[in-house]
Formats: sequence, C-alpha cells, structure tokens
Amino acid sequence: METFHNIGTSTDWVVMVVYFLAIMLFGTYFGRYTKNTSDFFFGGRRFSWWLITMSIVATGVGSHSFVKYSAKGFEHGFSSSMTYLNDWFFIPFFMFGWLPIIVYSKVRSIPEYFEKRFNPSARFLATILLLFYMIGYIGIGFLTLGKAVIPLLPESFYIFGTLIEITLMRAIIVIAIITGIYITFGGQTAVIFTDLLQGFILLFAGFLLFILGISYVGGGQEFWDLLPLSWKLPLADFNKPSSFNFVGIFWQDAVAGSIGFLFMNQGLLMRFMACKSVNEGRKAATINILFVLPLSAIVVGNAGWLGKAMSVLDPTVVSPNTSPDEIFVVVASIVTSPGIFGFIMAALTAALMSTVDTLINATAAIFVNDVYRPIMKYLKKTYVNDNQKDKEELFAARISSMAITVAGVLSVLAFIQFPTVYEAHGYFHSTLTPPLVVAIFMGVFWKRFTPAGVITTFLGGVVLMILGARFPEIFISPFDHGIEMNPDRPYSYIRAFYNLIACVGVGVFVTMTTSLQYNIVSAVKKNKNSNTVMIVLTVFTSLSFILAILGSDYFLFPISVIILVPIIVTYYGNYDEELSTKGLTVYSISEAKKAFKGSELNETNGEQVEVKLQLSNHDEDKIMCSKNDLLKLGAEVGDLVYLSDKRKWLGGLKSIHSRFGKSHNEDGIVYLNKDQIENGLFDKDKILIAEKEM
Amino acid sequence: MDYFSHSWLPYLYLYGVGGIFFFSGVYLVWKTGAIDLNQPHHRTWMKVFFLGYAWFMIVHGVFTILALQ
Repeated sequence: METFHNIGTSTDWVVMVVYFLAIMLFGTYFGRYTKNTSDFFFGGRRFSWWLITMSIVATGVGSHSFVKYSAKGFEHGFSSSMTYLNDWFFIPFFMFGWLPIIVYSKVRSIPEYFEKRFNPSARFLATILLLFYMIGYIGIGFLTLGKAVIPLLPESFYIFGTLIEITLMRAIIVIAIITGIYITFGGQTAVIFTDLLQGFILLFAGFLLFILGISYVGGGQEFWDLLPLSWKLPLADFNKPSSFNFVGIFWQDAVAGSIGFLFMNQGLLMRFMACKSVNEGRKAATINILFVLPLSAIVVGNAGWLGKAMSVLDPTVVSPNTSPDEIFVVVASIVTSPGIFGFIMAALTAALMSTVDTLINATAAIFVNDVYRPIMKYLKKTYVNDNQKDKEELFAARISSMAITVAGVLSVLAFIQFPTVYEAHGYFHSTLTPPLVVAIFMGVFWKRFTPAGVITTFLGGVVLMILGARFPEIFISPFDHGIEMNPDRPYSYIRAFYNLIACVGVGVFVTMTTSLQYNIVSAVKKNKNSNTVMIVLTVFTSLSFILAILGSDYFLFPISVIILVPIIVTYYGNYDEELSTKGLTVYSISEAKKAFKGSELNETNGEQVEVKLQLSNHDEDKIMCSKNDLLKLGAEVGDLVYLSDKRKWLGGLKSIHSRFGKSHNEDGIVYLNKDQIENGLFDKDKILIAEKEM
Repeated sequence: MDYFSHSWLPYLYLYGVGGIFFFSGVYLVWKTGAIDLNQPHHRTWMKVFFLGYAWFMIVHGVFTILALQ
C-alpha cells in the first residue's frame, strides 16, 4: 500500500498555523464566559437551536471524520454515506423520551440517571462503562488526527544533531498536548463557540474541495460516468465483504451507534442540555439529522469518491493502491493550490480537535459528577461556601481533563492494529456500546426494568460479549446474515447484533423473573445464616465474573453471573418501582416537568414580550415584570421565565433562566438584581425578550 | 450482473427493520402520552417524524434508481 510524507508547501504550513492561532484566540475569548462548573460543562443552558446545530457540525463531522469516510468512499463509493443517513429511526425515542427526561430530571451525567432510576451500584457500573467508552472515543479521535497529519510531515527531522523519526504515536502525543491545553482553559462555552465557527468553515472547506475536484475531473457528468456502478449505489452490498457490508453496519451503526450517539454520547447530550429549552433541543436534533448530516456525508466522503474517479481517469495521478486513510490528504493536495490546501487541512485537523475537545470536556464532566463528587461526599468534605466548592470542582475538572487526555492517547494502542480508522471505530462501537445502550433504553422505556435487571445487563452482558469474542463461530455466527468470518478480526460490525441480543436477553430474563428472585431472597432471609450465605454467594459470583472476563473456558461462570447477580442485588437492594420511575421513564414525562418547575404546570399560551432592564436590590432569584406583561406572557407569579438579549444572532449567549416574582405597574420594565445581570451578561441599554418557559 | 443484494435488498432491510424501530418509537411516545396530540406543536412534531422518515427513504431510493439506470 502506498503511503505519503511531506505533502504540502511552506505556504500551507503558514496558513495552518495562522488558522490554529485564530481558532484558539476565538475559543479563549469565549472562555471568559466560563464562571462556574455549570458554564464549564453545560454552557449555562441558554443557547438557541441554530447555534447548537452548527456547533454539533464540527463534533459530528470531526468524529465521523474526513479520514475514515474518505477512505471508505475511495474503497466503496457513495455507500460511505450510510452512517450519516441512518440516525432517524430512534429520533422519536430521543426527542420525546430521553431528552425531556435528562433535562427535567436535572441529571448532569448519564451515570447520575442510573442512580436516580435504579441505585448507586448501577451508577458505579455505568460510570466505569461510560468512561471506557468516552476514553476509547477520544483514542479514536487521536488516531484519526494522527493519520490526517502524518502525510503532511517528513519521515524524520534533525534537532540539535539528533535524528527524530516521526511516528504515528509521536505525532499523536504532540497533538494531544495542544488539544489538552486548549480544553483545559476553555470550557463548554468556548467549545460551543469554537465549534460554531468551525462548523461553517468545515462545510465550506468540504464543498470547496468537492467543487475543485469535480472541476479537476472535467465536470459533474464526467465524475458520475467515471465511477463504477457499485460506487454509485448509496448502500453497501448486503453482506460482503467482511470489512464493509450493509447489514453489519446497520446493526453496528444504525442501531447501536445511533442509540449510542443520541443516548449516551455525553458530549452531544451536553450540547442539547446547553439549549435554552427541550423544544430548542428537539429543533437542533431535527435540523442536524435531516439536513446537516446529509450535507456532512458529502463533505467528509467526497475526497474518497473523487479519489476513485481520479484513479480511474489516470492511475498515475492517484494510484488505486493509495492507503485509504491517506486518500483525503492526497486528493486535497492534487486538486487545490498551495494555501488552499493548508486551509482545508487546518479546517480538518481543527475540527477533529473540536471533537476530541468535546469528548474530553464531557468525560471530565462525568469524572467530576460521578467520581469526584461522590468521593468528596464519602470523605464528608465541607466547603466555606458555594464559591469555594465551585472553584475546587473547576480545578478538579481541569486536572481531570489533562488526565483523560493522557488516557485517550494510551487507548490509541488498542486501535492501531486495525487497517483503517473506520474498522477500528466499528469494532469499538460494536463492543463497548451495547450494555449501556440497552440499559439506558430499557430504563427509559420499560417501567418494570429493575436494578437487578440493569446490573445483570452490565455484568452478564459483558461476560456474554466476551464469550462471543472468544468463540465467534459458536455465538456470533448464528446472527451473521451470511457475512464471512475474518479470523483476524471476526465480525467487526455484526457482532453488535449478537452483543445487543445478549444484553437485551439478559435484561429481559432477569426482569421477567423478578418474582422468582424475591421468592428466593425471602427464603434465604428466613435462614438464620442468611448473611453468611449471601457473603459466600457474593464472593463466588465475583470470582465467576473475574474468571469469565479473564477468559475461562467454563460456561458455568457466565451462567453463575447471570443467575446469581440478580439474587444478590435483590437481597441487598431496596427498590420501590413507583418512586424510582417517577419522572424518569417515558411514562411520566409530565411528572418530570412538574418536578423541574417545582409546582403545577401553567399551560396558558402567551407571547414574547420586549422589556427594558432596571437594576433592583432584591435577593431572590426572581425577575419582576408588570401585571400587563405577565398577562401578555400568559404567565403567573412563580412560573419559569427565559430572559434573553433581543439580538437573535447572539443565540442566547446573553440570557438567564429565572422565575416571575411579584408584579408591578411599569409596563415594559423588568427588574433584575446584580447577580442576574452579571450571569445573563446583559448590557444595561439593550432591549430584552421575556418568554414563559413553563 | 445482479445488483439486488447491493441495492434494493439493503434498502428493504434498512427501512423494514429500521422501520420497526421507528414506528415502535412513534407508537410508544404516543401511547405513553409523552407526545400529546392535543397540543399543536406536538402535532407538528408528529408530522416531522413521518416526513423525516419519508425524506430518507426518498433520498436512498432516488440515488439507487439513478445508479442502476
């Protein structure tokens, strides 16, 4: 396979350096809006749908990168776009199930949901699995970045007379240092605004490359005619080859990946949680999936399609043997002029950094919320005031961001063996997402799903997945849809189907046998040595789990885990279904809404009202509007209000959420205290818009 | 050469099996009251769901037809 080095000119490098500096300055400017951990992680729940939609572009395009989709576009054609066009199936579940639940239940992380819905043990296991998932995702991001940058660099260089060889890992380490520095001092607001800018630039750069490429091969019709028929089909062959087939990718990406993307990608969820309301989050998700993702599919894949057309046109210009992961850089360097190439490469690498930034920020949020805070609570740490607590948590967030960056770099070692980033990502998704995806999904949409069910789904699901990985010809082949097994990397994608079935099967089996577990537990409790019995059982089950994940050949161990874990959880647990599901499943969204507001909902329709700001010295977090304005708003005292700067283009950057306090008689005037004006970043002479939230 | 396994078979599988997930989701959020069709903006969202599904079916269908021509 042909690989490249030293692509690009000094002009390109100058453009890239200038671009990076500009982006970092832009991020640093918005980093000043980070005042506390809420701003650092969630951007203060204030932004409009369009701003979040555009900021998601850089995250989506970056993670589903130029490198891997160009590679598959080069090898297989338009079917590289499959993964961008299959996220709609789960949108009803997301928009009216998961999104309102996470916003209204005020959870700050996915594991926190598991504690509220089930118990602390479920949260603990979810935290471990989620950290693995997020760090692995960061590793994939770094690997992609490294592969994008390597063709631009020389094979080696001299520094103080010493020859330094540029390897993939060394390039990744340098990239990680730059990425880590940026995220550590930025925070979510900085990331959102940097991504917003990069979203526009990426779409522009991708289409610019496409237009230049089409022109290079002689026009649209020539481009179409040059591609072989199978390259023009939008879906891959049903079940071959094993490295890229429709049905495997359907289960790995359209099912596990889409649910993973929408339900457990903390980085993406934090974007939606940064929206000013649930409805704005829905709009952002809709526009993103319906329009932005299809455009992104063209942006990220077109270099591969062009590469194929160019290799048909003249194999000496683009060799058919070009390394697929390098095709993007190769095509970009051929169809662009110096400077433009630097701009496109800068846009690509900066976008990839955005993805990694978002993931690091999200993983730090999980660390602070689900590891740091519980530890501090356990240590009974006291704080002088909320400010001190916030300061220390912000410090922990920044330190953990650095540690997570290091862990992400180390995780690259697990993926480096795969021939393309696409396959590494596919394998990673198929393997790590199913237990969490199934647990979240069943937790939200199945009221009867119990703590025993969720914990066994995690533990039993993992052991069954390991069994599948060890004996794919026995466990995965019944689900393979005719896909040939590659002994080096057996069932990279379709294993997701088996893994999902295994996890769902465990969860359903345990939940459907709940009464049996209660009967066993009550029988054990009647025994005077019940505690000893349960300790022995717990030790045996723990050993079984360890032996199963270490690869013992005895099927007894996985079976023991699946049968005994529910009994142990039922014995030690105390679960009230009515209480634990209130506001936390799709069946009780209105309860969640009421809990969020803290009182009965006011469904009266109203309109937005323009108001002028006046300073007041009241202490409470309430705003004071006139009686007439309240009538126009359809609001009553105590209702939730969203107050924002009238300038729509700010996208909600200058805004606050509050409650309506006592009314007055001065129409068009709103009274805010000093803290509210500061938090809302309001300018005193600007008009504000008030709207009732609920 | 027969391109069925590379064109309409995956298409049918995508919108058949994917459709099972999609319509189950629509049914579930409606049945549980999470989407309240008495509210005008919820009715709009319901239409968006179906239009979105049709949008992707059309995109994939048109490209498949164009490629096979």
